[in-house]
Amino acid sequence: MATANEEPEHDGLFSFLSRRRFLKVSLVAGGAILGVGGGGLLALRGRAPKVAGLQVLDAHEYQTLQSLVAVMLPRTPAIPIDAVPMDLPRAFDGFLADEPEHNVKDLQRALVLIELGPLVFDKKLATFSRLGVPERTEHWNAWAVSDSLVRRQVSIAMRKFFNLVYFDHEQVWPHIGYPGPSMKRAQGLTP
Amino acid sequence: MTGAILDLSKEAAPDGISAEVCVIGSGAGGATAARLLAEAGRDVVVLEEGRDLVGPERTQRDATMYDQLYMDRGGRASHDLSVSVLQGRVLGGGGVINTCDVVPIPDGVLQHWAVTCGLEDYSPERFKPFTEDALADLSASRVSESLVNLANAKLRQGSEALGLRGEVMLHNRVGCRGLGTCLIGCPIHAKRNPRMVALPKAMQAGARILTRARAVKIHKPSHELKEVEVRTLDPGGYHEQSKLSVRAKVIIIAANAISSAQLLLRSGIGNAHVGQNLMLQPQLPIIGIFDERIAAFDGIPQSYAVTEFEQEDNDEFGLWGFRIEGIMGTPGIVSSLLPFSGASGMEGMAQYDHMAPSLLLVPDAPSGQVEVSRDGRLTIRYTQRDNHRKRLRAAVEIAAKVYLEAGAREVLVPTLPPLVIRAPREAKQARHLAFAPATAPMLSAHQQGTVRFSASERDGGADLNGQVYGTRDVYVFDSSGFPTSASSHTMTPIIASSRMLTTKLLTRI
Repeated sequence: MATANEEPEHDGLFSFLSRRRFLKVSLVAGGAILGVGGGGLLALRGRAPKVAGLQVLDAHEYQTLQSLVAVMLPRTPAIPIDAVPMDLPRAFDGFLADEPEHNVKDLQRALVLIELGPLVFDKKLATFSRLGVPERTEHWNAWAVSDSLVRRQVSIAMRKFFNLVYFDHEQVWPHIGYPGPSMKRAQGLTP
Repeated sequence: MTGAILDLSKEAAPDGISAEVCVIGSGAGGATAARLLAEAGRDVVVLEEGRDLVGPERTQRDATMYDQLYMDRGGRASHDLSVSVLQGRVLGGGGVINTCDVVPIPDGVLQHWAVTCGLEDYSPERFKPFTEDALADLSASRVSESLVNLANAKLRQGSEALGLRGEVMLHNRVGCRGLGTCLIGCPIHAKRNPRMVALPKAMQAGARILTRARAVKIHKPSHELKEVEVRTLDPGGYHEQSKLSVRAKVIIIAANAISSAQLLLRSGIGNAHVGQNLMLQPQLPIIGIFDERIAAFDGIPQSYAVTEFEQEDNDEFGLWGFRIEGIMGTPGIVSSLLPFSGASGMEGMAQYDHMAPSLLLVPDAPSGQVEVSRDGRLTIRYTQRDNHRKRLRAAVEIAAKVYLEAGAREVLVPTLPPLVIRAPREAKQARHLAFAPATAPMLSAHQQGTVRFSASERDGGADLNGQVYGTRDVYVFDSSGFPTSASSHTMTPIIASSRMLTTKLLTRI
C-alpha cells in the first residue's frame, strides 16, 4: 500500500477533518464535482426522510449513517442480529451532542465525504446512500485500505464508534459466545 | 483532620480555594504526592478532571465505561490516528483502568538514567527504597497460578515449548475474583491502586479532592503564590460549566505525560523542551484463534509475559527489544480493533470466545511531541520510527509461532489488510508488514517524556527535583519527566518516582 503524503490536522479520533483538509481532499475530485454542479449534486443525493428528535444531525446525515451501518454491520448467518432497530445513527447523534464544536464540524465533513464518496473517489454518478448494498459494501470496504490517509481515518473512526456500540448490545452476545458482564452473571442476571 | 471529595459538577465550589500545595491529577503520581504531603501535615488540594466512579457504577459495559473512564471518551489518538492513546480520566487515574501490572523500573534502565542522563537520584541503589515502598503501596504479589486463565496459559504453553523465557506477572490485586474487565474498571475494587490506597490515606490526612475540576491554566508561575485557573464540568464531564481559581504556593502537575505538557503549554510555562521527547510505547494486538473455546474474557486478562526479547540495558535507550503479554477486552473494544467490516467483521467477531489475544509491547525512542494550538486544541504528533517497526515485525513473527505452537488454528494480525498466519513457515510474512499510518490498531497505554528531567536546562524541561525550568515551585511528578521508557508498565515507576520527588520536596518546603 502506498502511503499518502498528506498532512493531517486533528486532536483525536473524531477530529481529523479540518475545513482546509476537507477542501484539499475534495479538490482531488474537483473535476467530478464541478462537472456535476451544485444542482446536480442535490439531484443525485435526493431527498432524505424527515427524522424526529435529532439533536445535531440533519436528515441527510442521518441517512448517510443508516446506509453506512447497513454495510458495516449487516445481518449474517454468524450474527443474525439486525443493527437497524438499534438505531445506531441516533446513538451517534447523542454522542455528537456532547462533543466539542470542532469535532462535530469535522465529523459532519466526514459524513459529506462518505456521501459523496462514490462520486469523488470512484467517479460514479451516485451518492453513497443511493448505491445498492453490494456496490455500497464494495465502496466502503475500499476506504479501509485506501491509499488516502483521510479515507482510512474516516473508516477507523466509524468502525470504532459503531462496532463499540453494536457489540455492547446484549442480543449480540449469544452469537459471539460472550455470556455478559461477569458481575451480572454472578447475580444470575445473564441475558 | 479528614479531607473529602467534592464533585464540582454537583456541588458549588467553596469561595476562594487556597492551599499550600495544589496537585493536578489524581493518578499514580498525584495521589502519591498528595498522600505524602498531607501525611506530613501540608495543606493539600487535588484537582481531577474525571469523577469518582465506584462500585456498581462500573458497569462492565463498553459504551459507558470508555466514555466515562477515558480521556476524550476513549477517542484520544495520535495526529494521524495511527495510535489510540489510552489515558485515564477518573479519580485515581490510569490505575483504575490498567491491567494491574506491577513492573518496577529495571536496574538497567535506572543505571542508564543515572549514568547517561545524569539523574543521580535514580541510580539503582538510591532508588531502591522508593521502589520497595511503591511495591508495598500496591500490595504487589505474583499472580496465583490458579488465576492464570486459558488465554494466558496458551501464551505460556507456546512460549515454553519454544524455549522462550517468560513469567507469571506481578500484580496489585487483592481479593480478585477474575471478573475480567480490568480495562474498564473493577466493580469490586480488587485493585490496590492509587484510588484505593494513596487517595484514602491522603484524605484521612486532610487532603481535599475536587473532581470534575479541569485545570486549564497556571498563572504567575514564578511568584510565591500561584493561581490555577479551573473549569468545572457537567456530570458527564462533557461541557465546562463555571470558572474558579485555586491559589497555592506549590503546584504539582501529575496529569499524565500528555496532559501535563498540555497544561504547561497552554499556560506558556517552561522552555522549548516542554512537549518534546514524547514516548507512546505503541503496542500492537495479535490474536491466536483456537478450535477450542478459550473464553479469554473470564479471569485475569493479563497474567503472563514472554520476556525473552526484552533488553534493559540498551546503550542509547535503556529499555529496548519487545515483550509479549496476554490481554483481553470486552466485545465492543475487541471488535473495534479488528481489521474487518461488514460480513467478514461479523465472522471475525463470531470467534470472540475462541480468541487468545496478546499485546506486543515495543518500547520506543523519545520522538513525539505534544502541541497546543492558540485556541487550546491538543495535537499528539507521533510518527513511528523504523527501529520500532523492525522490532514490531519481529514480535509479530515470534508471537505467531508461539500461538501456533500452542495449537492455534490461525493467528490474526489485525493490520489493514489483515495478515492471517496458519503455519509457522508463514510467520515470516510479518517481515513485510509496512505499518503505514492508520493501518494497524496500535495502542498506547504508557505515555512518557514531554517534560524531561535534566540537570541542565539545555537538555530538559524540569530539573532533578522535578521543578519546571523557569518557574518557582511548579513541579511535574509523573511520567512526563522520564527521559527514556521507564518500564513496560508505568504505574509502579510513577509511584516510586513520585515518592522520591515528594520526599525531596518535603525537605525544602
